[in-house]
Amino acid sequence: MSIRWYYFASPSTFYGLAGRLAPWFFALAAVLGVAGLYMGLVVAPTDAQQGEVYRIIFIHVPASWMSMFIYFVMACWGAVSLMFNTRLAAMMARALAPTGAMFTFVALWTGSFWGRPTWGTYWVWDARITSELVLLFLYFGYIALANSFEDPRRGDRASALLALIGLVNLPIIYFSVVWWNTLHQGSSVSFKGTTMHVAMLWGMLLMALSFWMYSIGAALTRVRAVILERERRTQWARALAR
Amino acid sequence: MRSHEFYVWMAYGMTAIALLAEIVALRIKRTRALMGVEEERDLEAQD
Repeated sequence: MSIRWYYFASPSTFYGLAGRLAPWFFALAAVLGVAGLYMGLVVAPTDAQQGEVYRIIFIHVPASWMSMFIYFVMACWGAVSLMFNTRLAAMMARALAPTGAMFTFVALWTGSFWGRPTWGTYWVWDARITSELVLLFLYFGYIALANSFEDPRRGDRASALLALIGLVNLPIIYFSVVWWNTLHQGSSVSFKGTTMHVAMLWGMLLMALSFWMYSIGAALTRVRAVILERERRTQWARALAR
Repeated sequence: MRSHEFYVWMAYGMTAIALLAEIVALRIKRTRALMGVEEERDLEAQD
């Protein structure tokens, strides 16, 4: 069975598809979120060294992962829009940016509240934390640049370029704990395995999946609004408002 | 065993606020987009 990619690349068709899919992703996010919180706050044991404060990682780590992953996907949509001049790809990139910025803020905020009792400070100009802050500024810059043009298509091109240039920050964030002597600890989870307790690992993975599903639901919901803004002069969009 | 409820709840609380704020922002954006479409339709009807 082949998927009709070009059919769904049309904003008018994708509008309906996104509307049908978004509630399912939000529902999945809620279910996985409840399961993840139960594992993280109830089932997972207290950490021998950090005590209860380590439970912040159940939102800090998934939010950090999502902040980087959403930026990567946003840059990919930007690249597709530049290469193939597709309107929907640019709209998807725009729809992802606020959610990515939100998760970056959450990662920084929760990291800071984990840092105070653990390191003795809310903030330190450490390579990992500083590069994550740069990511937040990249999101803000992207959103500002995309909305600063009268012609949205020019905004799409300029912001896609910025997103692609900003990609260089992702390996800096990820490898910062390896490349520099940082206060931030290294990764506890990798493809090679983990040293974490199984309940801690499941709590974190379930929360990561929940944030992932939420991001897809939010992006699909936002892209519908972006499509309506751009297509408001078309017949199909006017028919919706009746 | 050390307990740091304040830090844990500040982290979880702000995350809940951030998620709720985004959901509200999404609803506002959709409402405004629909209003924009209605305005366009009304303008065309006047012409």
